[in-house]
Amino acid sequence: MTAGLGVLRAQAGADAPALPIPRAEERERTAAMGGVVTTSISKLLAWGRYSSLWPANFGLACCAIEMMSTAASRYDLSRFGAEVFRASPRQSDMMIVAGRVSQKMAPVLRQIYDQMPEPKWVISMGACASCGGIFNNYAIVQGVDKVVPVDVYIPGCPPRPEALIDAVVKLQRKIAAEHHTLR
Amino acid sequence: MTTVLPPPGPPGPYTSGRPPIDALPLEEAVDLVQIGANTMELNMGPQHPSTHGVLRLVLDIDGEIIKDVRPDIGFLHTGFEKSFESHTYQQCIPLTDRIDYLAPPMNNLAFALATEKLLGCEVPPRGQYIRVIMAELARIGSHLIWAGTAGIDIGAVTPFLYMWREREKILDINELVSGVRMMTSYIRVGGLMADVPDEFYGMVNDVVRTFPHFIDDYELLLTKNPIWRQRLIGVGRISADDAIAYGVTGPALRGSGVAYDLRKAQPYSSYDHFSFDVPIGGNGDVYDRYLVRMQEMRESVKIIQQAYEHLPRGPVNTLDRKVALPPRNEINTSMESLIHHFKLVTEGFRPPRGQVYSAIESPRGELGVYMVSDGGNRPYRCKWRAPSFSNLSALPHMGRNALISDAVAVVGSIDIVLGDVDR
Amino acid sequence: MTTTTAGASARPLAGARAAQLLAARLPEAVLRREEGLGEETVVVSREHLPAAIRLLRDDADGLYTLPIMVTAVDWPDREPDMPRFDVVYQLRSMMHNDVCRLVVQVAEDDAWMPTLEGVFAGMDWHERECWDLFGIDFRGHHDLRRILLPDDWEGHPLRKDYVSFGEPVAFTHNLQWALPMAERPADMPGTYHP
Repeated sequence: MTAGLGVLRAQAGADAPALPIPRAEERERTAAMGGVVTTSISKLLAWGRYSSLWPANFGLACCAIEMMSTAASRYDLSRFGAEVFRASPRQSDMMIVAGRVSQKMAPVLRQIYDQMPEPKWVISMGACASCGGIFNNYAIVQGVDKVVPVDVYIPGCPPRPEALIDAVVKLQRKIAAEHHTLR
Repeated sequence: MTTVLPPPGPPGPYTSGRPPIDALPLEEAVDLVQIGANTMELNMGPQHPSTHGVLRLVLDIDGEIIKDVRPDIGFLHTGFEKSFESHTYQQCIPLTDRIDYLAPPMNNLAFALATEKLLGCEVPPRGQYIRVIMAELARIGSHLIWAGTAGIDIGAVTPFLYMWREREKILDINELVSGVRMMTSYIRVGGLMADVPDEFYGMVNDVVRTFPHFIDDYELLLTKNPIWRQRLIGVGRISADDAIAYGVTGPALRGSGVAYDLRKAQPYSSYDHFSFDVPIGGNGDVYDRYLVRMQEMRESVKIIQQAYEHLPRGPVNTLDRKVALPPRNEINTSMESLIHHFKLVTEGFRPPRGQVYSAIESPRGELGVYMVSDGGNRPYRCKWRAPSFSNLSALPHMGRNALISDAVAVVGSIDIVLGDVDR
Repeated sequence: MTTTTAGASARPLAGARAAQLLAARLPEAVLRREEGLGEETVVVSREHLPAAIRLLRDDADGLYTLPIMVTAVDWPDREPDMPRFDVVYQLRSMMHNDVCRLVVQVAEDDAWMPTLEGVFAGMDWHERECWDLFGIDFRGHHDLRRILLPDDWEGHPLRKDYVSFGEPVAFTHNLQWALPMAERPADMPGTYHP
């Protein structure tokens, strides 16, 4: 199977256009060369970022109802820092794409993502957002990672509120492990 | 270390096709366009906290007063009707869960009733009564969501948390009988997925005893609240004739004084065995629709109580082995049952050629399924008559000459589900 | 599609009232009456459809005032013997507690219908949806454009010759679907290179 993939990779033509962004490995190397002070600052900033992840309101379909359940009293999401769901993407740092994204909605999704200021993360909630779900047809985008970069995927149709909380915690661990200059 | 942004790429299939927002002049960037001497076009949605889903409303406003509302729908179009044509009848049931996702058992019930009409198959009384209980629990759950979110739109955040606490009890019952909190797929063609476990009776009894008091609590918070009354009374009025001309059904129609409920007029699934009232409103405004739904929750509790107290014994699925799966112990002893099981799971049943229209009363209105069979194992055409689609078409009529904040209240009061509108 | 119900119950057929009303007052509109599964369908001709609908709405014996839906069924194998599309109208009479179904058959190269926007305000969106998903032109509609799909969509999805395609699951025989987006060849469907 790897041989097959290798052949296809060669066929795909791996000439990525040279962009002036420093590549991820370069940034990580620079970060790792930092001293004690910058590591502590990095941990402090990471703690600040993951402890108050404010989600942007992007509930689309059924998963949005489970997202609302997660924000309600039994599975209170604000214990984990997601205190308010901001209506405006300009004031949020996490987008939970909850629900199926149709072809008409995909440009809107991209626009809302672009309107969020850095640092920003995306959780793809549910099967439809992760891979198109049970709708393998003309109308649904087969996974929002075709439109926006995703950090955490949650399977489920819809995922239980505990699964969404698990994803937020995983995202917090991911943010804790990142260097603050990465985003 | 500074980060240099890459140059914007060519427009792809999923980009908005517009230049980045910083490159636009201010007027275009905030989507305000001067079209008449006095009116301004304002875009609300599709990402908006108060549009209850991905609904885009284009408002022509004169100051704060709306001159015209143009809904732009289709942001959640999923192609359900096309998907139905490529799944067998029983495989369509999990698809139907996701159309009106606030009350999934209702969709299952509508589809199952239409298919059973095509097949000419009868569900035993116990199956029908449990279907009624699950459907009415779904109705209460849907009205709770509606009331909570409509309250948040108006500004009342407290009832939202209380109502969702109650809704968790209903979701616990869903999880008990089917294993899933929301998309139960419990009501299937021929009956139910399986009979209810023993804890079901205790939980339903709990709901029946406690929910009327909870509904009293919500009414205490809202109904006589002067802010609530001022925001809702007289807003979004529609007369009965106009509502009927638009095809509005359900509580939105009953709020305008038309006493028509499919559970009474064309009873299905043993609804004629239960006695309950159908609340109607007098003025056709948002407040009346709110009162109608609150009272409907109480009536639903009454129906659940009657169904629970008189729950008959017996099988829950039809005994026609060509439609419903045989019990597992029978498969071990009977060759015909084994063959029926095999054929049903691999191929599914084949209703004879024909067409049927079957409608139920969903929390939103008349949920109709028009099904055409060509004798195969898949629906040839299954049209989902969505109540929210017709109800939303009356929004321009209701929203004219209202304030922008009233438009939010009106959209909330129609109780739309975008999955239902866009299918 | 006509089936007779043997041993039917004593309940009158759904839509029988509308069929009788049309047969009595507007017989030239009625092409055929079909019965099946407790329901009666009236096949009417296209030029008499607006008059028939108005009669059903206004007559005291009918009072079919609630428009339920407008949709179509695509039977591509029927051509050339019978027209391809069945445009289906359902109306409800709350006064008489009845639902009726009218069907108009239109051919593929003749796929147009007169609009009923003036008769029922609710027909507006239903006709737009029928245009969007089937491509049936409703002449006289004030604003017939797509309602569920994006405005620049090509094709009418609910027609039987429209192949609905999402994305195949990647197995060993179609490995290119397992590649990440950036490594796929640009001409592969569903590929987007930013």
